[in-house]
Amino acid sequence: MGILIRARVGWLPWLLGLCGASVDATDWTASLDLRLVDSNSDRSYLDGGQGATRWDRDDAVIQLDRARLSVTQSVGELWSTHVDLSAWNDRGGSAIGVTEAWALLRPYPFDALRVRLKTGVFYAPVSLENRASGWESPYTLTYSAIDSWLAEEVRTVGSELQLEWLGTRTGHSFDLAATAAVFGWNETTGVVLANDGFLFTDRQTPIGGRVGRPGDPPLNAAHPFEQIDGRAGIYGGLEARYLDRLTFRALRYDNRADPSAVDAASHIVAWHTAFTSIGARLETQNGWTAIAQWLDGTTTISPVGFSGDWPYHAEYLLLSRRSGRHTFSARLDGFRVDVQHAFDSGRQSGRALTAAWLFDTTPNLRLGAEWLLIASHSYQREELYQLSPDTARSQVQLSARYTIGSH
Amino acid sequence: MRPRARPAPSAPLFAATFEALRRACVPVLAVLLTCLGLLAAAVPAVSANLSLQAVNADGRPLRGAVVQVYALDAPAHHPVPEHAVMDQVDRTFAPDLLIIPVGSTIVFPNSDSVAHQIYSFSPAKRFQLPLYHGQPYPPTQFDQPGIITLGCNIHDQMLAYVVVTEAAYFGRTDEQGHWSADVAPGHYRLTLWHPRLRDSLAMLEQQVVVTDAGPATINVRLKKPLQPAPLTDRPYSWEY
Repeated sequence: MGILIRARVGWLPWLLGLCGASVDATDWTASLDLRLVDSNSDRSYLDGGQGATRWDRDDAVIQLDRARLSVTQSVGELWSTHVDLSAWNDRGGSAIGVTEAWALLRPYPFDALRVRLKTGVFYAPVSLENRASGWESPYTLTYSAIDSWLAEEVRTVGSELQLEWLGTRTGHSFDLAATAAVFGWNETTGVVLANDGFLFTDRQTPIGGRVGRPGDPPLNAAHPFEQIDGRAGIYGGLEARYLDRLTFRALRYDNRADPSAVDAASHIVAWHTAFTSIGARLETQNGWTAIAQWLDGTTTISPVGFSGDWPYHAEYLLLSRRSGRHTFSARLDGFRVDVQHAFDSGRQSGRALTAAWLFDTTPNLRLGAEWLLIASHSYQREELYQLSPDTARSQVQLSARYTIGSH
Repeated sequence: MRPRARPAPSAPLFAATFEALRRACVPVLAVLLTCLGLLAAAVPAVSANLSLQAVNADGRPLRGAVVQVYALDAPAHHPVPEHAVMDQVDRTFAPDLLIIPVGSTIVFPNSDSVAHQIYSFSPAKRFQLPLYHGQPYPPTQFDQPGIITLGCNIHDQMLAYVVVTEAAYFGRTDEQGHWSADVAPGHYRLTLWHPRLRDSLAMLEQQVVVTDAGPATINVRLKKPLQPAPLTDRPYSWEY
């Protein structure tokens, strides 16, 4: 496996050298994550079903979870560029694509202040668990309900300005940061949440990609990254860090979409989606990590003849213990989508429990095992599919991920 | 009458030789004595051992604390400037702290394959240094005393310190929280600092009189626990 990857990407530094870039300034990673899966879930949301997990009872045991190549290249002293390319086992037609791509302007700090400007496609600073390379979680295989939603349909396509006060570099115990962003191509963010509710996945929709089965939206698939009314979205956030032990994050996000706007050609409706997220992560010297995250928002549409709001809320508490090359984690998720319109379409509530063991056998090979249990109530299941609204579904995964890169 | 013994024919020659040697030795001896006198003036006739034992608030040894001893009323002692090395290995600084006399230089070689952008905005030395593997950069000179915090603009977890000192004697406490040096008898001011110190610096400053009667020992116990040490078991690629 490793030989194959090495053969594929061995040309990369050479190619960058030909392009005039400094090879020494290139940081690259390639990985292949294969899974053995067993699930009793209903047909997956990725296949147009009501199953809240990525894998369902009809899936083959062996699956390609993710093949990934990322390159970070410094350009001169002040600029850095990054591209994250992934291939997924995807039934919706987004089998390969770019999940993140950005250019970062990072001047040196001036006194204790530092400004950073990121432009491109990237995640808003919400997640406290998806901190590893490729926006993956180093604690579990499957992301939390909050981060699964971000992975599916929330991405910043725009510019983000961050101002940091580097207190730890001036003898203090704290660092502070304020972030503001302007973005577009997010006016359909919210449609997956309203249609499918909160999901549990580690599949990240590539830019320009879709969520759901092949076919045109809105009936078959959701296109989360569309621009309909031309209004820019904004978000603003704060971050405070106590040394490298405690991180606190808060973000207010509003895509400022006109909920009455409808694309004339595709009939795609604009979803006005806004949320507030607050989270904290605590790490201790003896390997414990605790993360608590809370997200609350509303998504709204009001095309001619219809108006509806879907208030949503999710939170999780994650406890993890790192012991040598082993990481043991448990996470409890709670999630709820309410409905404020004539029908109950989209109403969902539930809890999920995730237990995972990740083992870094070598710097290149990580093995993992995870058990996920979701207990939920869904209006959609009963009214649209004549299934019981209450379900308890589980998913077991074994993972082998091989990674190579510059070190 | 017994004839007087006739002197050996070589006697005048011996006398002349002895006289020549005596005349030659006088200036040599004078020079030697002068040198010895100068040496005696430069090096104290006696030195005494000054030692420090530092413990944390919980009684455990305080490792890696920076000890600086300034002469208040003691023979002058000026450490010679050094040429030190602060390397970058596996996205960390090595070592994590350097103590150098004023006027010393540091070279940053970068043993990593990735680039680093070293910076300091500490008042004692502000500088920025892009480091690419295999591209040596001239040493950086440190002419002002003070504590300099080093960071990397690409890898935020990288953190190191340079203590530029004017102290007559300096060093770091060992694994047992111990530091010692042979110093000339006199009156000294001793300071203690640690990157994770919470105590007031003034509270840790002490004056000590060192005599040739025997070793002088200072015991320091922190009032507050140190700040938590940086976590070391996280991959560099994680977001911090």
